[in-house]
Amino acid sequence: MSPKHLSRDTKRFLWIGILPSALLYGLFVVWPAINALMYSFTRWDGLSTPVWIGIDNFVNLFKSGSDFVTAISHNIYLTVVPGSIILTLALFFAWMIHLKVAGSTLFRVTFFFPNVIASVAVALLWVLLYSTTEMGPINNIRQALHMEKVPFLESARLLQSIVPMMVWSATGFYLVLFLAAMENIPVDYYEAAHLDGASPTLQFIRITLPLMWDVLTTGIIFLIVGGLKFFDAVWVMENGRPSPATHTMSSLMYAKVFEEYNVGYGTAIAVLLFVLVLIITRISMRLLKRERLEY
Amino acid sequence: MAAGCHFEPITSDETKTIEVALFEGGFGIEWHKDMARQYEQLHPGVKINLWGDPRVDEKIKPRVLRGNPPDLASCTLPVWKLITAGRLYPMDDALASPAYGAKGKTWKETLRAGVLADYVYENKTYALPSNLGVWACWYSKKLFREHGWDAPSTWDELTALCEKMLAAGIAPLAFQGKYPQYAWSTILSCYQRLVPFEKWYAIEDFTKGAFLDPSFVKAADLMQELAVKYFQKGALAMTHTESQMEWANGRAGMVFCGLWLKKEMEKALPDDFEMACFAVPMVTGGTGDPKAIYSGGGESFFIFRDAKHPEIAADFLKFLLSIEPARDYVKRNDSLTPVIDCQVGIKISSALQSAVDAIEGSTRMYSDRLNTLYIEWHRTLVQQAQADLLRGAITGQQFADRLEAGAEAVRNNSNIYKPPARGVPAL
Repeated sequence: MSPKHLSRDTKRFLWIGILPSALLYGLFVVWPAINALMYSFTRWDGLSTPVWIGIDNFVNLFKSGSDFVTAISHNIYLTVVPGSIILTLALFFAWMIHLKVAGSTLFRVTFFFPNVIASVAVALLWVLLYSTTEMGPINNIRQALHMEKVPFLESARLLQSIVPMMVWSATGFYLVLFLAAMENIPVDYYEAAHLDGASPTLQFIRITLPLMWDVLTTGIIFLIVGGLKFFDAVWVMENGRPSPATHTMSSLMYAKVFEEYNVGYGTAIAVLLFVLVLIITRISMRLLKRERLEY
Repeated sequence: MAAGCHFEPITSDETKTIEVALFEGGFGIEWHKDMARQYEQLHPGVKINLWGDPRVDEKIKPRVLRGNPPDLASCTLPVWKLITAGRLYPMDDALASPAYGAKGKTWKETLRAGVLADYVYENKTYALPSNLGVWACWYSKKLFREHGWDAPSTWDELTALCEKMLAAGIAPLAFQGKYPQYAWSTILSCYQRLVPFEKWYAIEDFTKGAFLDPSFVKAADLMQELAVKYFQKGALAMTHTESQMEWANGRAGMVFCGLWLKKEMEKALPDDFEMACFAVPMVTGGTGDPKAIYSGGGESFFIFRDAKHPEIAADFLKFLLSIEPARDYVKRNDSLTPVIDCQVGIKISSALQSAVDAIEGSTRMYSDRLNTLYIEWHRTLVQQAQADLLRGAITGQQFADRLEAGAEAVRNNSNIYKPPARGVPAL
């Protein structure tokens, strides 16, 4: 039934139902967002009266040598590098489990397990694994093999060290997502392909991937959004003091607003982060768009 | 003691509660809690809600922005932004009022000279340190005795000692690498050994070209040499507790740190450790004062103007920094406070005694305040430059160039408050 065919009472009932949520959303999401947009055009320390400076904050964000430009490059790195590894591994393991390799149920649980741990706890766990003291198992093994200790947690190499952690913690989620999509594909297609002599690899490329494309697209969007707003691991592994070598857009925004009281500049980062996520997500969806296959 | 009270007497039928938020670091907050209970007994109309957290600043900073600060806080804040915005409460009235436990003296007269100087704005004082620190290199007397090593008095002796430690299979220096700013005080101390104070304070005054002084470059080069050759392997990835634990366990021979180190590592130090310190050694060929020591107030207290009871907070702070509580602080925390003679007559540890000796034998106490004045410059540019210097990615000259370029940007930014040049403070 289309909305115009609803009775007046039904419409009134719907409005009454929606209104509290809409009010709360407006009060706690829309209104602060509008305020943030306004503050992004000001020089403001959060303490005195904001001074309107037009687009100066945005210009400063992109000045040569700006900490924001460096932070964006870190976000791109943390999106592309772990993202491509996670996608590849998740697809591979989901396919293997879908093919019912020996121990597939165990693998499914094992891979998903890191996903149930809170991201802060994951970061703390990896801080311990990477430690250069006697507590660090990875460096202990290296020493046992007469290799030099590697300061994985040193700011200059922290982003590279975060990649294995992200792969370990996130692959299971995408595996389960992709596996669910694979298991929804009717088995008839595979049987027909098998009768036609298609190899498992060809079946994967010609049947599985096209029929799970929507889910794959969703997974890629999740990875892009997660990479662009990456915050917690950097914050925890840098003990709340990320340096320019490790700042991401979100951690830089937090530091500018709450550590340095550079609220105008910080909200400009927030606005830009929102716009970037919106644009990149739209572009990704457009690029990944394919004709939907029904089955 | 109650005679020292300077706020309006509280009538018995009303209870006023003040909130005190503290950085819970090496010294803990047990002493503060006990002092709060003592103060409540002295002032039955006052209740003190005192709490601490190692990351107290992450909790307080958003509250300050919301206009809901505690009455009294000791944490890292963008202090100068608060001062210039009129958000902090000046302590001058309290400082001029009678001190607790020191008849005939104002509170100010009971405090060490110089400890009030760092947060003075338009002739008003906006912060008071809760302790008196000293920056030094810490070691175990027992370890040194066993190997026949002596505490060095020159930089050459220091590097020679590091070589001996390497030969003995001990990493010479532990370092709190996750916080590169731990190198800052050592670099500045080394620079002080190289130049007269007129030049050293030129840096504090952000004088144009001050960081480009060849002696500053040399100080950076010397720090880099220590890092590259003598820091424990993997130190640049260690937190302060991890690296100091390495030192306490004898896997590293020395560590540069503040006086809080003893209390911070108290539970980890073996009973027979015999902790002691020496000041940053004199550099051969330097023209600086060899007996000056990097020392000053630490963990400063701030009172917020828009708090509920700033005048009671000031009075509680006066109580905390009065002679009897200060003596108790020395006994329990094995450290010093800004209160004059707070350690006299108290049996103190070898660690604190060596720090007291260093202070008492010094010709001048000096310390840096650039990290509070120009926090963006310090937190981003200096922190990154130090990290790069320590891992050998840039030279001392490049380090100095970066700092000077950043300082020039600050000088040209009219929105950043720059205090009038102080020059060399009078003794």
